Amino acid sequence: MTPAGPPVSPGAQAPRPGSLALARLLPALLVASALLLAGCAHRAGETVRITIWHQDRIDIRVVLEKQIGRFMALHPGVKVEQLFKETEELRSGFIIAALAGQGPDIVYGPSDQVGPFETMQIILPLEGIFDSAWCASYDPLAMTWYKGHLYQVADKLGNHLTLVYNRKLVPVPPATDEEMITIGKRLTAPAGAGNGARYGLAWNYTEPFFFIPFLTGFGGWIMDGEGRPSLDTRATVDALRFIKDLRDVHRIIPNEADYEIADILFKDGNAGMIINGDWSWAGYRNAGLDIGVAPLPKIASTGLWCGTMVSPKGFSINANVTEEKKKLVIELIRYLMSEENQMESTRELYTMPTHMRVRGSEFVRNNEILRNSQIQIDHGRAMPVSPDLRAIWDAMRPSYQAVLAGTKTAEQAAHDMQELALQRIAEMNE
Amino acid sequence: MNRKSLRQKLFVAALVVPAFVVLFGVVVYPFFYNLVISFSNMSLRHIRDWKLIGLGQYIKVFTEPSQPNFYTVFVKTVIWTVVNIFFHVVIGVFLALVLNQKEIRGKAVFRAVLVLPWAVPQLIVALTWRGMFNYEYGAINLILTQWFGLPGVQWLKQPLEAFCAVIITNVWLGFPFMMVIALGALQSIPRELYEAADMDGASWHHKLRHITVPLIRPVMVPAITLGTIWTFNNLNIVWLVSNAGEPSDQTHLLVSFVYKAAFNFYRYGYGAALSIVIFFILLAFSLTFMRQSKAAENVYG
Repeated sequence: MTPAGPPVSPGAQAPRPGSLALARLLPALLVASALLLAGCAHRAGETVRITIWHQDRIDIRVVLEKQIGRFMALHPGVKVEQLFKETEELRSGFIIAALAGQGPDIVYGPSDQVGPFETMQIILPLEGIFDSAWCASYDPLAMTWYKGHLYQVADKLGNHLTLVYNRKLVPVPPATDEEMITIGKRLTAPAGAGNGARYGLAWNYTEPFFFIPFLTGFGGWIMDGEGRPSLDTRATVDALRFIKDLRDVHRIIPNEADYEIADILFKDGNAGMIINGDWSWAGYRNAGLDIGVAPLPKIASTGLWCGTMVSPKGFSINANVTEEKKKLVIELIRYLMSEENQMESTRELYTMPTHMRVRGSEFVRNNEILRNSQIQIDHGRAMPVSPDLRAIWDAMRPSYQAVLAGTKTAEQAAHDMQELALQRIAEMNE
Repeated sequence: MNRKSLRQKLFVAALVVPAFVVLFGVVVYPFFYNLVISFSNMSLRHIRDWKLIGLGQYIKVFTEPSQPNFYTVFVKTVIWTVVNIFFHVVIGVFLALVLNQKEIRGKAVFRAVLVLPWAVPQLIVALTWRGMFNYEYGAINLILTQWFGLPGVQWLKQPLEAFCAVIITNVWLGFPFMMVIALGALQSIPRELYEAADMDGASWHHKLRHITVPLIRPVMVPAITLGTIWTFNNLNIVWLVSNAGEPSDQTHLLVSFVYKAAFNFYRYGYGAALSIVIFFILLAFSLTFMRQSKAAENVYG
């Protein structure tokens, strides 16, 4: 017996049973989906989710995860998630997300990201959130102020380059550039059967950030007192020549080395010294190397230390964070910056803490790596926060690499860097 | 219209509308938003208070004395695309012809091995090749110097060599796609055509010219068009192998130029204008190439 169905007009094609069933099912599916979504939304309302975006390496992430875990144990209704992003991806991703009213609640990174974030008004001023008594517990460098407002509170200080040396090959680190060259020549050996060449020194020397120590060693800096580029100087010329000579005259550095090559050479014992940042020390120790960390040498001809850029790494709050969530976000930042957690990070990662009691602790005072790290920080200068820094890096790179490739003189390169920096800054600020 | 037919139409609409909504959200809206931004001054300083400024950004694209400028990068992009597609197609079709031979044993293994470059994530491919191009420790120079007694090449430090290095990487990465497409097209050619040609005494060359090439053309032309667009817009390989345009910004393509302007320097209006220019270059190429190659014509007709 055929069940009675709706009347079908003569001209209309009869629907297939399957599609008819689907048509009847569709409203039910839509209702079910809506209920499911509503259910999810309800559950999300019970648990507060806080997201942190950062660009920290794996060992820092492990420590952070432990600290986050303890925070969540103290706050059962809170779920904190950390998300790693490469530096550029973090910056551009945060800008896009925050401008659209979304993004993580906390963005963590070096202080130079504050400049563009402030210009775009996507992070909150923090001076009304963290009181002065709390701030006084930390190194003043940990508080990144820009245009009269506090925008970042840092738990680590540094992001700075130092001279890392393999104690087996370099028992005593060099104090001057001349000593560095002497040691480098002693260590450098050509490739033989079954083994590659060995170099006295290796580092990512084609990248402008890694050029800065020598620029400062010859008395230069990238910006003048007014924040304008100051690259067309004698110091830039001398520093460019110095690095080229290390490769072409003294032959103590590889012909070609990016970060990875230099890192591998050092880890394999094929480079006695490397210029690398505080982020690398734990990795070298874990690789089984007996390393020492020393301040970068003094340039004998100028009497100046090779100073690096020093930058705090810290927390900023997304301007889109709601008022009710903000309390928990602030509590989380306070927790992660607490004395106990900074002590834990310092012990495990050898990073320079910003909490003054941790800085004065026996562990920091008696640890040779951290002691020398502090000396290097004292020799360094704070990394500018202005967004113009990005234009300066970009302007330096082509001419610096042209000098190394032998297609430009140091004088021409210094001049071109300055011109391009001015042009890039004008383009960026149009 | 009776209830039944209305219900049917509603049902069809219910099936089609989600696709339209998604397409609108991910293609139409972003495209027109990008178009609007290209006429604006949106940048680091005008991210929230941007306004329309007319053709200013387009004029800058064509006249700004940047280093390198638009025309230099455009010529490099064309060379990059032409050389890559030429080798992708030649190597891909050659390998497909070899794999299509009845006498070849273990075809599946060869096919799998030859598709590998395509299957490996581009990031890994690019960074591996970058390591292989290192002057002292890279495999390429070790082979050149130790096996052939040739001098090492500064692949990543000289502009021409660096450009060759990124092209070699992308040729290696791109030929499997053309091979797979060509192999599929070859396998769809009726055997009877070759048998008839054999009976007429046609040579291998004649069969290739008069049977194989015309019959794989309808498949290869869209593949070449797609390949051209992908290659023209390929950011990953150039960015990663040359470390963002090194040496001295000499290995940029238009797309890496856009990326740098928009995401390194926050010049969103300028970047949007440049991306619209790229869009019209590719649109013009695709339409011309499809028309000239008569890809839409029926080969059996």
